[in-house]
Amino acid sequence: MSTQAGKTIKTFLKNWISLVGILLLIVVFSILSQMRFGAQYFLTLTNWKTILLQTSTVAIVALGQSIMLMTGNFDLSLGRMLCLVSCVGAVLMRNLGWPTIPAILVMFLIGIVVGSINGALVSYVRVPAMIATLGTQYICYGISKLITQAVPIPKVAEGFSWLGRGYILNNTIPVSVIIMLALYIAAQFITTKTRIGRSLYAVGGSREAAFFSGINVKRIQFGTFVLGGILATFGGLVLMARLGSVAVTNGENYEFDAVIGSIIGGVSLTGGKGYVLGTMFGCIFLNVLFNGFSQLGVDPFVQDVLKGIVLVLAVVLDVLSNRKKD
Amino acid sequence: MGKDYILSLQGISKEFPGVKALDNVTIEVERGTIHGLVGENGAGKSTLIKVLAGIYQPNAGQILLEGQAQTFSSPIEARRAGISVVHQEIKLAEPLTVAENMFLGNILMKGRLVDWKGMRKRAREIVDDLGMDIDVNAQVSSLTVAKKQIVEIMHAINNNSKILIMDEPSAVLTNRELEVMFRIVRQLRERGITIIYISHRLNEVFDLCDNVSVLRDGKHIATKPIGELDRQSLINMMVGREMGQEYPKEPGTIGDTILKVEGLSRGFVRDISFEVKSGEVFGISGLVGAGRTELARAILGIDKPESGEIYVRGKKVHYHTFADAIRDGLGLIPEDRKLQGLVQIMSVERNTTLVNLKRVSQNGVLRKGLEKKLSAEYAQKLRVVTPSMDTQVQFLSGGNQQKVVIAKWLFQDADILFLDEPTRGIDVGAKAEIYRLIDQMVKDGKTIIMISSEMPELLGMCDRIMVMHEGRKMGELTAEEATQEKIMAMCV
Repeated sequence: MSTQAGKTIKTFLKNWISLVGILLLIVVFSILSQMRFGAQYFLTLTNWKTILLQTSTVAIVALGQSIMLMTGNFDLSLGRMLCLVSCVGAVLMRNLGWPTIPAILVMFLIGIVVGSINGALVSYVRVPAMIATLGTQYICYGISKLITQAVPIPKVAEGFSWLGRGYILNNTIPVSVIIMLALYIAAQFITTKTRIGRSLYAVGGSREAAFFSGINVKRIQFGTFVLGGILATFGGLVLMARLGSVAVTNGENYEFDAVIGSIIGGVSLTGGKGYVLGTMFGCIFLNVLFNGFSQLGVDPFVQDVLKGIVLVLAVVLDVLSNRKKD
Repeated sequence: MGKDYILSLQGISKEFPGVKALDNVTIEVERGTIHGLVGENGAGKSTLIKVLAGIYQPNAGQILLEGQAQTFSSPIEARRAGISVVHQEIKLAEPLTVAENMFLGNILMKGRLVDWKGMRKRAREIVDDLGMDIDVNAQVSSLTVAKKQIVEIMHAINNNSKILIMDEPSAVLTNRELEVMFRIVRQLRERGITIIYISHRLNEVFDLCDNVSVLRDGKHIATKPIGELDRQSLINMMVGREMGQEYPKEPGTIGDTILKVEGLSRGFVRDISFEVKSGEVFGISGLVGAGRTELARAILGIDKPESGEIYVRGKKVHYHTFADAIRDGLGLIPEDRKLQGLVQIMSVERNTTLVNLKRVSQNGVLRKGLEKKLSAEYAQKLRVVTPSMDTQVQFLSGGNQQKVVIAKWLFQDADILFLDEPTRGIDVGAKAEIYRLIDQMVKDGKTIIMISSEMPELLGMCDRIMVMHEGRKMGELTAEEATQEKIMAMCV
C-alpha cells in the first residue's frame, strides 16, 4: 500500500514538477527579498500581477506549441507568425484606417493560412517540421519588416486595449490572465477527457499505431498546426493590446520560450506524454525565475544563459526519465 | 565422457532487481555442433546470450571456453575470445558496403592507411567460399533482409569466431532464404565452428540442431541429443505442463459469402479474386514478399486499388481510408505488433479502446468509468496477463501484447478480421492461446482472414487456403486437400 502511495506521489511529481518548481522559487525569492531589502517585494500582489501578465501572451502561444509537441511535432514559426499578424493588424488599423473587427478577422485569417501552410507541408508533403517551419518563420519575419519598414507602429489596439491591460475583480486579476486560464482549462479538458484528445496522444505515442487504429493521423497533425496559428494570432492580439504598439520584435523567441515552457511543464519531446496544463506552469516558472532575478539585480544578460541552463536541465530530466524504462 | 566441450557454462546465475533471470544454469556445448536453445519468452534465453556475449556479467557461475575460465566485461572481449552473436535485429552500418561491414571493428591496415583492396579481396573470398551471390561493393541498405543477415554471419566468420550465436535468425526470412541460411549454418559446422541456435520454430530446431537445451523460468531443464526428443516432449519441457491440442480449430458455422474480391490489382499485386464466407478462417499463404500484406492493405482502403472490385456483404464498396473500412466492420491485426499494433507508451486500457472510442464516449467526451469497466472485461476475457490496466503495453510480453491487439478489434466488434502474421515471435504457450482466441472468434460468428508464413498454423487453423506468389494467386486449397507439399509446390 505504501509503495502504491509512493508511486502515486512519484507520478504526480513527474507530471507536475513545474508546479513544485514554482513553489520552491516562491519560497527562495521571498526569503531573499526579505533578507536583501528588509521588506517583501517579491511576494506582493503587484509583482504577481506583472508576472502573470507577462506570462499570459507567451503562454497562449505555448499552448499551441505544447499540443504540437504532444503529437510529435513543433513549430518554429510561431513567434514570427505572431509578429506578422500583429504587423498586418497594425497596418490595416493605423495606416489604412480599417475598423477593428475586420482587421482582427484578417489577422486570424492570416494565422490560419500560415498554420495551414505549415500543417500541409509537414503532414501531407512530409517536409520535416524543423525545415518547413523555419522557412515560414523567415517568410513571416520578412513580410513583417517589408510592410512596416521595420518602424514600430504606436497607438494601436485602442479599441481593445482592455484585452491586454484590463483588470477584473476590483483591479486584481488581469483580463489576459483570465483568457490564458480559460484557454488552458479548456485545452486540458479537451486533451484528457475527449475522443479527439485521446487521438492526439495516440498520434504522439505512435503515428503508425494510431493509423492502424483508424485515426486520421494526417488530419490531426494538420489540425494542430492550424490551431497553433490561431493561438499565435490570439497571443499577438493580447500582446499588442498590452503594449499599445507593434514592432517587428513582437513575439521574438516566443517559439523557443514556448518549447522551453512545455518541456519544463513535462510535455515530452518524444510526443504522447505530459499535460498541456503543465506547459502553463512551465511558462509561469520561467517568468517567476526571471522576475526574481531582476528584482535581486542580476544582470539581465545573464537571463539568457539561465534560460539555456533551465532548458538543458529539463531535457536531461526528460531523457533520463524515458531511459529508465528501456 | 570423452566428448569435446568447447563451451561449458557452470552454475550461471543472473539477477535483476526483483527477478532471477538465470538460476544456476549449467550447459555444455560440444565442439562443432549446432546446439539449439529453446524456451518460452521470458525463459532466460536472451539473458543467457547476453551473458555469453559479454553484455551482462553473471552474479554467479563460470564460463569455460575450451577449458579456460573466462570473464567478459564487454562485448569486445567476448568477440576477441571467439564468440560472435548474430542478433535478431540486424546491426549493420546500412550506408556502408558489404566489405566494409564485414571488417567493422577489425579494419585491415596497410601501414598507416586502410587496406581497401585487401579487405575487398578477403570479403570476396568469404562470399565465394559460402557460395553466395553478393556483391561486396554493394551498399548494405540495398540488400534484402536475408542477405543482410548473411553479411552478419560473414562478419563473424571474418572475426575467426569459434562460437556463433544466432538469435532467432529465421523470424524474418522466407522459406527459400531459410534453406540458404541452413545450408550456410551446416557449412560452418563442417568447418568446426560451433553454433548456438535460438528459435521459436521447433521444426527448424529438429531440422538443424544436433543437441538442444531447454530453459524455463531461468532454469536449465534438460540438454538432449535431438534424436531422443519429439515435438510433443520438447513442447512439454518448454511449458512445463502437458499441452493440449496445439490447434484447437473446430469447424464453425459457415454462412454466405461475406467478402468477395474480383480482379484486384495494386502495384505488383495483380488480378486477385477470391471469396470468403462468414464464419470461415481463410488463410493466405505464400513467401514473404508474395504480396499478401499489400493485398490486405488494398482491400482495407489503406492503399488505393488500381482496378478490381470489392464486395462486402454483397455490397460493392470503395474505401477511401482505413477508417471507412473499420466503420464497415473490417479490421486488421497488423504485421508489426510493436510498431503498428499498439501505442507502446499507452496503457492496456487505452490501447484496448483506441479503435472504438465512440463506444466509451458521449458527445465526444470520454466516460472514464465505462472505459475502465469495459476494457477490463475484454482483458479478462482474453486472459491478458498484466500488472494492471494502467500498465503501459511496452512492459507486456509479446503474447500478451498480441492479445491486447486482438482485444482492440473485439472491442470494436469487427466481424471481418485480417490477421497478418498473428503469432510471429510469440512463444508456444501464447501461440496456443491465440489459436484458441481465433477459434472462439469464429464461433462468435466472425470471419477471419489469416496471412501467415508458418504453414503448420495455416494447415491447422484454416478452412481454405489461398496461395500467392509474386503478387499473383497460384491457387486455392480446402482444409482437406491442403498439405505442406502442395502449398510449397504452388509457391515456386
